[in-house]
Amino acid sequence: MGSGWETVIGLETHVQLRTKSKMFCGCSTAFGAPPNTQVCPVCLGLPGALPQPNGAAIKLAVRAALALGCTVHPKSIFARKNYFYPDLPKGYQISQHEQPLATSGSLSFIAPERAAVTAGIIRLHVEEDAGKSIHDRFPKATAVDLNRSGVPLIEIVSAPDLRSPAEARAYLLTLKQLLEYLGISDCDMEKGSLRVDANVSIRRAGATELNTRTEVKNINSFAFVEKALTVERDRQIALVESGGSVTQQTMLYDSKENNVRPQRAKEESHDYRYFPEPDLPPLVLTPEFVAEQQSDLPELPSAKRDRFAAQYALSREHAAVLTASRTVAEYYENVVHAGAEPQAAANWVMTEALADAKDHQEELRVPAVALAQIVALVKGGTLSHQAAKRVFGEVASKGGDPRTVAEALGLVQVADANVLAGWVSDVLGAHASEVGRYKNGETKLMSFFLGQVMRASKGKADPKLAQRVLEEKLAS
Amino acid sequence: MSVTRDEVLRIARLAELDVDEDALPELADQMSRILDYVAQLSAVPANGSVKVFVPGADAIRFRADEVIPSPLAFGPKEFAPAFKEGFFVVPRLDQFE
Amino acid sequence: MSDAKAVADRLMKVKRLNALLTPPKDLRKSLSVQAAAARPTGVLYGMPVAVKDNICTLEFTTSCGSRILEGYRSPYDATAIAKLKAAGALIAGKTNCDEFAMGSSTEHSAYGRVIHPLDKTRVPGGSSGGSAALVGAGVVPAALGSETGGSVRQPASFCGVVGIKPTYGRVSRYGLVAFGSSLDQIGVLGRSVHDAARVLSVISGRDSRDATCEDRDPLRLPTVPESLQGFVVGLPREYFPPELDPAVRRACERAVRLMKEQGAAVREVSLPHTAYAVPTYYVIAPAEASSNLARYDGVRYGPRFDGAADLRTLYRTTRGQGFGPEVRRRILVGTYVLSAGYYDAYYRRAQQMRALIAQDFRNVFDRGVDLLFTPTTPTPAFKAGEKLGDPIAMYLSDIFTVTANLAGLPAMSIPIGQVKGLPIGGQLIGQAFLEDEMIEAAYALERVVPATDEA
Repeated sequence: MGSGWETVIGLETHVQLRTKSKMFCGCSTAFGAPPNTQVCPVCLGLPGALPQPNGAAIKLAVRAALALGCTVHPKSIFARKNYFYPDLPKGYQISQHEQPLATSGSLSFIAPERAAVTAGIIRLHVEEDAGKSIHDRFPKATAVDLNRSGVPLIEIVSAPDLRSPAEARAYLLTLKQLLEYLGISDCDMEKGSLRVDANVSIRRAGATELNTRTEVKNINSFAFVEKALTVERDRQIALVESGGSVTQQTMLYDSKENNVRPQRAKEESHDYRYFPEPDLPPLVLTPEFVAEQQSDLPELPSAKRDRFAAQYALSREHAAVLTASRTVAEYYENVVHAGAEPQAAANWVMTEALADAKDHQEELRVPAVALAQIVALVKGGTLSHQAAKRVFGEVASKGGDPRTVAEALGLVQVADANVLAGWVSDVLGAHASEVGRYKNGETKLMSFFLGQVMRASKGKADPKLAQRVLEEKLAS
Repeated sequence: MSVTRDEVLRIARLAELDVDEDALPELADQMSRILDYVAQLSAVPANGSVKVFVPGADAIRFRADEVIPSPLAFGPKEFAPAFKEGFFVVPRLDQFE
Repeated sequence: MSDAKAVADRLMKVKRLNALLTPPKDLRKSLSVQAAAARPTGVLYGMPVAVKDNICTLEFTTSCGSRILEGYRSPYDATAIAKLKAAGALIAGKTNCDEFAMGSSTEHSAYGRVIHPLDKTRVPGGSSGGSAALVGAGVVPAALGSETGGSVRQPASFCGVVGIKPTYGRVSRYGLVAFGSSLDQIGVLGRSVHDAARVLSVISGRDSRDATCEDRDPLRLPTVPESLQGFVVGLPREYFPPELDPAVRRACERAVRLMKEQGAAVREVSLPHTAYAVPTYYVIAPAEASSNLARYDGVRYGPRFDGAADLRTLYRTTRGQGFGPEVRRRILVGTYVLSAGYYDAYYRRAQQMRALIAQDFRNVFDRGVDLLFTPTTPTPAFKAGEKLGDPIAMYLSDIFTVTANLAGLPAMSIPIGQVKGLPIGGQLIGQAFLEDEMIEAAYALERVVPATDEA
């Protein structure tokens, strides 16, 4: 990006919390049910219904706040955000406004251009989700499904500390990783359990004041985050460079065309008329409760990555790959605890296990103990690396004990010196002139002899041992 | 304090309420008088030193995270004004995405 | 009173009052079914209790006196209704009321006004006018109403019956169609203190479905006391202003004399912020109402007044035509006082004033006063149409009742006399969650006060 412009980005992220029941009623939050079957008087907004807050949602929200280094407020207040929309059954959303659950946190991540970046988290609060409006199912009509109405959400608002679309994406991926580690959410943008709205403005490089910003919505994947923000940034730069000025408006991203267009002008800019929710007393958290959530926090991604690098002598990059997801990290450590040598285990997990998982809905199909055995079999010379990969594949799809599987497939390497001696003799006997040339100094013929021995043994000879026997025989 | 005709219209739009053109002057007048009447509240010191009063329970008592829906004797199909293939149906929003 | 047919017949006889919204045929049929299923061991076994139309019942419709819920059948029972049923009571129909409980005369119902049981030119009070009229006409021993600013006590005073508003948080609001959430409570109208109190006892108590309902056992019914020895009754001077109707004053003075004769100590006290109570109420109640009534949009239930054109038209026509003028007015005022730029000047100020009003009561109770006694209403029942011209004139009839709603305190009205042949009520205001003391005093007063005598 040239000519001295700086991009200023802040992100508002909505994350669905992984609870069994909704935020204010006992309806199920399970995804994929037939429309309007997971509903009750409360989440339908029927006359006379009242909210009943879900304690598990608060626990998860507090953990997220703590993991983001926020100040968790012992007392916070729910508030009504009033507006009309067909999938908002009460005509208001129960959210938090003046006294949110948590404020003043931060998220550190590696940015493409600036290396380590720490983005401020202004606030984190709890609210309920709205239902779903589907505009293309019926002609000239909107179909409304309230199954999602009332699902618990946390809203995480970052400070305008991001300086590029790539940074925004990196921030989100780091946030997603953190929340997955906490077990708080699926963070799936396609399924809608993580949603992002971005605030974008530009200013001259070196300037400190913030200019008029626009809001970018309708971003449905992490990749589109970067694309959408690039498009909007470029639009603003082009506008200002041609003498225009940025007006505050909402822009909708169109992923097919890769452009943004203004949301059709609404009659009124929103006046949400926030006021404290009279149907809910204050949300009071005891110090014991907060301390319990703090101590229940798992080892966070950055700490785990640093520990892996140190403890298992791994490079930073490898440690990052192995700790990208908590499931993989725990799997890796289980493999090591089952006796596998850490570096070998790292290679196996990063290559074979992750590749297999990618094709099988992220399932790590080979049990950690079994993978540790495979690693040991290679280390001990019983299996060649190639053979071990075949065994891995077998155990992945059909299960079983690796050693047994290897034997059944006839893959066990022969390390019996007598048998090897037999093959070596045969090979040397059949290639007398090469033997002569070798003894005259052409030592690189060793690989030829080795290849012949492997052929004779149909690949079963332990290559290291075979080479040793060859050397012995040729030396005599 | 005078509530103008235009303000009444603005508030009516926020509240999604149709207001009769003819009824506007009287409505503006009534609202003005009501708001004048309640403006007596400015007698309260404005410095925020007085806390607000909220009756009822002191703190939220949480519900366990269990799937136990509140009773619904019959579903939306029975009471919805327009219901098709399991969905509530409303006319398309022209001014929204 | 437990004969279903007899109840239905009595209700038919007072059809002219327009107090009942349930068609007599439906009521008769339902009462038979209910009577057969009622639990014989319930403490209210067989008692027919009429229910204000803004409380959700599986039986009949719940229209809140409005067109926007015309024909609406609730798919669930309010908690209070479930408790009544568990106690063996019969739900004796839904009663007419001011639309969404907004009003003080039941002239703002979309289904026609309710007529005073003793004088057809007068109002029964509101918003629980239908419930009060049926009890006043001797048709049912008790009825449920609701209170936001006095809507049980004021009609009780006008119709010559007992009306009790519990402490805020005593009775679950789950299933009470919300008007002013921080003020609303279900209340009871009854022929006698005993009838009203025993129904209140049954419907009270903890409910996890209402987060503002306190975690307490149901109200324990006190026994009728021997005397009022030991009770200190305060008379707040702001409720006996110089311009108070002399006949109402006389009735109150007589009641006070009778309480003294029964051993009560009586003291003059002051609640200095009383004058601000009505304006405070008329900021908070409409503000909360404007939000509570946003759900009535024609999308998920109720009729649509124009289902075709586009969404905005659906909303605006349904709400514009489905709501009556008083409701529309309050929604507009409420939306205004919450809107950007006005929230601090109006809503926040009102909540602060509310704290001062609540503090006035605490100060008085902390100085050894057990209960307060005041007139319930400044006048007996007024004539239909008399106060429709000016909304503020109507609001001022709540002047003695709104303070208890603002402070969340229990209060009740019992008949203490007549003024030119019309009943007038006296009000007791109690301490939070001490309804039993208030009811005890009411028993003692009821026993001796000549409620049918001119003051």
